[in-house]
Amino acid sequence: MRELLSRYRFLLLAIILLLATVILYSYNLRQKTATTFFERAVLTFSAPFQGGIDGVVDTITATWDNYLWLVNTQQRNLLLEEENLELRFKLQQSQEISLQNERLRMLLAFVDELDRPALPAQVIGEDASNWARTIIIDKGIAAGLRNGLPVVAAQGVVGRIIKIAPNSARVLLITDASSAIATLVQRTRTRGITRGRGGNLSVDYALRDADIQEGDLLVTSGMGGVFPKGLPLALVESVEKDQFSLFQRVEAKPTVDFSYLEEVMVIVGEDP
Amino acid sequence: MRGFFLFMFAGAFFALLQSSLLPLLLPPNWRPNLILILILYLGLSENLSRALIAGLLLGAIQDSFCGPSLGLYISVYLIIILATRLLSDQLNIESPPLLLLLIAGGTLLQNFLIGFYLTIFADAAPVLHILLPAIPQQLLTNIIFATALLFMLLRFQRLFGYRSGLAGLMYQSKHHGS
Repeated sequence: MRELLSRYRFLLLAIILLLATVILYSYNLRQKTATTFFERAVLTFSAPFQGGIDGVVDTITATWDNYLWLVNTQQRNLLLEEENLELRFKLQQSQEISLQNERLRMLLAFVDELDRPALPAQVIGEDASNWARTIIIDKGIAAGLRNGLPVVAAQGVVGRIIKIAPNSARVLLITDASSAIATLVQRTRTRGITRGRGGNLSVDYALRDADIQEGDLLVTSGMGGVFPKGLPLALVESVEKDQFSLFQRVEAKPTVDFSYLEEVMVIVGEDP
Repeated sequence: MRGFFLFMFAGAFFALLQSSLLPLLLPPNWRPNLILILILYLGLSENLSRALIAGLLLGAIQDSFCGPSLGLYISVYLIIILATRLLSDQLNIESPPLLLLLIAGGTLLQNFLIGFYLTIFADAAPVLHILLPAIPQQLLTNIIFATALLFMLLRFQRLFGYRSGLAGLMYQSKHHGS
């Protein structure tokens, strides 16, 4: 017996370890929102380094852009002045629309606005793999955050917190393959589940007969209790209908440009 | 022991680099997996028990820096280390081109395993749409970075000597499997 064990030592060790790691992974899959001690320790110790690297890169970039690389400054200045005028005009238009909107809301007694406190946070790191889509923010338990809180940017939904440490948190982006959010097509109120596909999104379970068109805005439906209702999520890019399929194939582009994401807001309050 | 801690330090440094600096410079598909390169080197150069412990810890570090669940990279790296050990007994691991071929094989195996685990266990089949198109870029980037790292490593060996604690191919090959 001992001889047998000693002969197949390598094979036995390999099988035992492999089984142990698969069990560990399966167990952690069930505990998706729980942050293990190890993960918390790594997040805690790495956050200052990531913040430091981010700060150093920002300083170098700012010095380069503001003091060294001034080749197109004058030309850019003219363009910016032009853009400024255009934006002022748009702002006035927007204010007018906003006032009109307010009046209409009061008139129709239609209350559907987000009224929750939010906490600003800075993005200090990204995912260390090419297939997962997560970011690390510089706020954690100490700032009152917890697992599952929704994270948004000015353009729309970013994702939700999945791991948390005292001073940092990991956010699962809506473009991650394991992310699924209940959504509505804003124009027609058609329901679907929006899943991440790396760069863009796909809408599952949108019925074949439902009216969805290119350019439609997808918003959160509020189902599931993570994201408040009505937050912008993505714009429909393409719609395909197979002859024999129950559902149509919809692809959408997130409203948030994740390649330029620097500041985000974490929605901390509950529904009123 | 010094070599073990050096591996751990290098792994933590690579993880920080991959999550902080590289995303600012390279798009997702062109970012190398430096920890995978370290794992393959570990599988070739260290003895089995040390390679397994270091591999599991490096997997846990990488899991903490990416994806939603702990355990994926621990398992993937364990398989890669075991596969590397099985192969290393049959191959001349001192040949640099062969090492680069191993990096390519390791990259393919890693992508296959991640795809398999996420599809079977995590019900995240859309990840295949992310993984598959990225494989050519991943192969190229990992090979380029592995070449650079190998070049630097051999330089360091010449500078500090083969017995200074830095696990190196030339020195370790004489003690392989001990």
